[in-house]
Amino acid sequence: MTPGYPHIFSPLRIGPLTAKNRVKYAATETNFNFRDGYVSDKEVAYMEAQAEGGAGIVTTQGAYPDPKGEGKGFMGQMAIYDDRFLEGLSRIAEAIHRHGALAALQIMHCGREGGVELDYCLMPSPIPQRLSYFKPPREMTKADIRRAIRDHIEAAKRAARAGFDIVEISGIVGYLISTFISRYTNHRTDEYGGDIRSRCRLMTEILSGIKEALGEKVALGIRLCGLELLEDRGGNSLEESLESFRLAEEAGADYVSVTVGWHESSQSVITRDVPMGHWLWVAKKVKEVVSVPVAMAFRLFTPQVAEEAIARGDIDLWEVCRPMIADPKLPQKAREGREEEIIPCVACNLCFIRLYYHEPIMCTVRPTLGKEGEEGSGYRGFFPAKKRKKIAVLGGGPAGMEFAAVAASRGHEVTLYERETRLGGSLLLASKVEEGDREFLRLVDHLRGECERKGVEVITGEEPTPSSLAHRGFDTVVLATGARYISPFEGPFLTPYEVMTGEMKGKEAIVVGGEGVGMALALFLVRQGVEGTLLEGGKRLGRDVNPFYLWRYLQLLKGRARILTSATPLRFEEGRLVVATPDGEEALEADLLITALRGDRGEELSKWQERFKEVLIIGDARRPRRLHNAIHEAYRKAREI
Amino acid sequence: MVPAIAEDKCTGCGRCLEVCPPRAITLEGGKARVEEEFCEECGFCAPACPEGAIEIPWPIYCSS
Repeated sequence: MTPGYPHIFSPLRIGPLTAKNRVKYAATETNFNFRDGYVSDKEVAYMEAQAEGGAGIVTTQGAYPDPKGEGKGFMGQMAIYDDRFLEGLSRIAEAIHRHGALAALQIMHCGREGGVELDYCLMPSPIPQRLSYFKPPREMTKADIRRAIRDHIEAAKRAARAGFDIVEISGIVGYLISTFISRYTNHRTDEYGGDIRSRCRLMTEILSGIKEALGEKVALGIRLCGLELLEDRGGNSLEESLESFRLAEEAGADYVSVTVGWHESSQSVITRDVPMGHWLWVAKKVKEVVSVPVAMAFRLFTPQVAEEAIARGDIDLWEVCRPMIADPKLPQKAREGREEEIIPCVACNLCFIRLYYHEPIMCTVRPTLGKEGEEGSGYRGFFPAKKRKKIAVLGGGPAGMEFAAVAASRGHEVTLYERETRLGGSLLLASKVEEGDREFLRLVDHLRGECERKGVEVITGEEPTPSSLAHRGFDTVVLATGARYISPFEGPFLTPYEVMTGEMKGKEAIVVGGEGVGMALALFLVRQGVEGTLLEGGKRLGRDVNPFYLWRYLQLLKGRARILTSATPLRFEEGRLVVATPDGEEALEADLLITALRGDRGEELSKWQERFKEVLIIGDARRPRRLHNAIHEAYRKAREI
Repeated sequence: MVPAIAEDKCTGCGRCLEVCPPRAITLEGGKARVEEEFCEECGFCAPACPEGAIEIPWPIYCSS
């Protein structure tokens, strides 16, 4: 039935149940729920969309199991410590069942990352916290441990009563169970500490307790860390981690899910530079020691990668987190051979970082996230335009393409003009920065495809002017022409565009402007073997860069490029750039002088307004920002026009 | 919801502008102003303010 992905779309037996296919929407926090732990309508609609998209198993976000909120790690995390939450949880189970998926409820005690509204967090041993948002640790007493076990078992019973088919326990990244399992955080001398078997005792007592209470009424699964990446601070060896999976099976787990890294690990695990499928070897190791189905999520972004992994026997079940935030319809589109319609996750981790800001998750590539239940939001169609307009969109970057596709979906007659011969705009430059950044081209392909499918007329190689467009009958002109680069003063400054698309003719470069664009350019140059200096006027680099990437970029630039902060270029003198720094003036020599300072194109508005009734300006042209701003602004404005 | 800026405390130093990822803060008449349309509610601005003039009307725990 599915020639493309026979393995993904074959059923899978899990404990007493059979899933219709091998796609499992993985547990994902959203911060969509109410602060008191109750499930919101927004969450139910989001979960329903995940089931409707065709996954065989849909997992809820982790629910915290204790009344004090010691297990609560996110402001909008849902709770399962009392019967009063049953109604909301049942709504999710029903919504998932309506679409023929198995409903899994995850129980998540956040441990080291918990106590979000308290002034402490619970841990097996009070190992100091490295990340700023962690609460001071408090060592668990025996009574605390007994209570945690009981809370998990009661939560599991409640999940079964709410109608869930599967109960999943979270024991990863620094959450409670993982802190017991890890040598790094468990220094106890009682029966819950010591060798790996004793460190796993909390986990095994929870699993066997749930099994005893529920038997075959539900399938029982657990997410554990296969590779902690905490060698630098005395974490588990691979063998110890593998043993935890074996012990989980012994204690009654019907499936296991393999994860990699802690939030504290000093290695990137899920950023774009990690190649797709990179961590499959860890899952394969786990498969060698357990006989129950093995699942994995990390960086398995395309159905091809997952299909091959299942076919090779690395995994049995494809867990999908970020790619299904980006597109819940991913399974359905894959099954129907409509891969090019899948909205591609670009691993930007905007979703993730929003959780740390205590804000609802956002998705760069899917502005409809969180609006699945909102009529006319575009998730299941837009409201048609009241008046059909003839619209010219200038600029075929992300903002222009998104605007054109959405406006055309609503019935407008849209022409998209791109000066270059290829659509993509700044994304084409972004795709050249690091190895994994080629994945931005998937987004370009997708947006271009959306324009085609919605009937946008695309004209490339033409840069219209107000007069050249004047007599083509357009009601509206949308400026999506991107930022302009600003030279700090008159001088031989090149733009990132010129540097990245032309022949490199320098050995030493100075980049002015240390925000995201400047940092990316510096990285690009370093990779080309050009020595560089990065100048930033402010105190720190990359204020607009997601911390997930900023940390990595700073590491990559360290020692390979010179970084000057609080530095202002003053003038160009005898072939040198004179810069004001806190230590006085300095003359820098370089054969490539590049500006990454961006400005808007607001001043171009009036010349268009002279000729056209309605002129909009969106994306970087309106205010230079990031990719998600461009796409979201385009979406918002195209919904209204 | 956007961060609330106490005008009497704001000295217009511009630190909040520097740290605001979506460039939602501008200086107007020497005072910082948050443009609601651009604000993404990350909360970066409050800890950056040396005068304590910015109040975030929601809980934050990640300072940049």
